[in-house]
Amino acid sequence: MPLVKYIQHDGSERQIEVEVGQTVMQGAVDNMIDAIAAECGGACSCATCHCYVDESWRSKVPPANDIETEMLECAVEPAAGSRLSCQITVTDELDGLVVHLPESQY
Amino acid sequence: MSIDKTDPFREARESDRTVVANYSDERIPMILRHREVRLAARDWQTYSSDAPCRVPIPEESDVRQVRQLPIEVDPPEHTDYRKLVLPFFQRPLDPTMAPKIEALVDTLLSEAMTKTSVDVVAEFALPLQSRALTHLLNMPMEESELWISWGTHVFRTGGDSLDTEQAGALDRYIEQQLDRAEDNPGADFFSELHRAQFKGRGLTREEMTGIANLTFAGGRDTIINLVSSGLGYLAQNPKALQQLRENPSLINTATEEFVRYFSPKTHIGRVATKTLDIKGEAVEVDQRVSLCWASANRDASVFEAPAEVRLDRKPNPHLGFGHGPHSCLGAPQARLVMRSVLKRLVERVSTLELITAEQAIEQIGGIERNVGFEQLHIRFSE
Ligand code: HEM
Ligand code: FES
Repeated sequence: MPLVKYIQHDGSERQIEVEVGQTVMQGAVDNMIDAIAAECGGACSCATCHCYVDESWRSKVPPANDIETEMLECAVEPAAGSRLSCQITVTDELDGLVVHLPESQY
Repeated sequence: MSIDKTDPFREARESDRTVVANYSDERIPMILRHREVRLAARDWQTYSSDAPCRVPIPEESDVRQVRQLPIEVDPPEHTDYRKLVLPFFQRPLDPTMAPKIEALVDTLLSEAMTKTSVDVVAEFALPLQSRALTHLLNMPMEESELWISWGTHVFRTGGDSLDTEQAGALDRYIEQQLDRAEDNPGADFFSELHRAQFKGRGLTREEMTGIANLTFAGGRDTIINLVSSGLGYLAQNPKALQQLRENPSLINTATEEFVRYFSPKTHIGRVATKTLDIKGEAVEVDQRVSLCWASANRDASVFEAPAEVRLDRKPNPHLGFGHGPHSCLGAPQARLVMRSVLKRLVERVSTLELITAEQAIEQIGGIERNVGFEQLHIRFSE
């Protein structure tokens, strides 16, 4: 299973195996990573699953679609690499993916 | 052509026009398209919420004096007020909350299954909403009996009939609770309002009242309508119930889809801070416009087959809980309640049978829209 590395705002790291086809959001929620609130459960309607894709991975993660891009404007402190983690589906190509988590989703 | 009352905005939206909600002393053009509603909801400098009693449509100055917070104020004050109440509104995200809400659903389902039928509005959704609110506000379960006794039509926000006497009951209750919490503080919502610090000072009585008023009024009809509409749909579509039973992982997407499709809050007002042109309708400074979530949620440029309920719809960027800085604080609570209903329903109930139903119609200044039910009798079978 592909490994995803979640780096929390305080610098602590969690390496989690996420099944292919699951989302980066689901991997976090299933493993009690509180920095991903994911209120809407992945419907792309809440923007509380915001994360920042590590610079080294930005070109490998398929880009956000229009719906996600608009929703990202509601995220707290959007920046380069900002994504909604519920819209990133894990694939074998994303094995080793690194995402940074914000301090808060609110 | 007959107008579909679940989406009376369709023709105007699709031909890129507005519709105007006409009140005796006010004409309110409505923004109908998903993209435009979103943009307006984020542009608080132009579409302001800084207007006591004028964010709901029709306005509520006859039923309350107090400015509801944080909904009737703009950033940056809004941001500070919102932060104060956020910890309470996030309680439903705590994993210990779900079993509590499911237990409430269980009690109601057990009762329902002993009867030939129940009115889902008054005997299921209302008690569920009120009892669930005790958990949100960290108050004793007994309090919910009084809240339930206020009935389904207490102090409607955004509805048609505004009941001054009922609204008085809410005012008196909030006053009493704030007194109680001052003399006898605990860990409940009212006590926390006394402890809260806003810009380095405590909240005034008026501010506390404004926050409490919104908390009680905003999350009542909306949840009741969502739960009733969802159950009404499942009673009329046994295949949908079966689909959820076979695949309970659809409960989350189904909940979002019900919020989109039924849009329990049709629209909300904003006050123009500069002259605007809403598809040819001129809006002067200090006049109001409507952000129509219900219309945006049927926008075919965003949602495939928008008039269909698709329990597995994903992504589902609906605006049922609003959008931008004021997006619904009660959304985690509403989601938890609806998901808990669906979860226990598929685990415990084999069939739902619709006995009688009377649609509730919201009057929007000359436009009619179905929102929930006046009554909805359903038989729940084990
Ligand atoms: C299905 C149920 C619900 C729906 C459809 C709904 C809908 C909405 C909408 C559309 C807004 C945005 C208002 C605006 O932009 O001016 C809003 C705001 C709000 N809602 Fe809800 N709501 C629901 C449940 C609740 C519940 C259960 C509560 C409280 C217990 C609640 C409390 C609030 C509050 C406090 C705000 C104001 C947030 C702010 O101004 O920052 N809502 N709601
Ligand atoms: S979980 Fe709600 S937008 Fe990602």
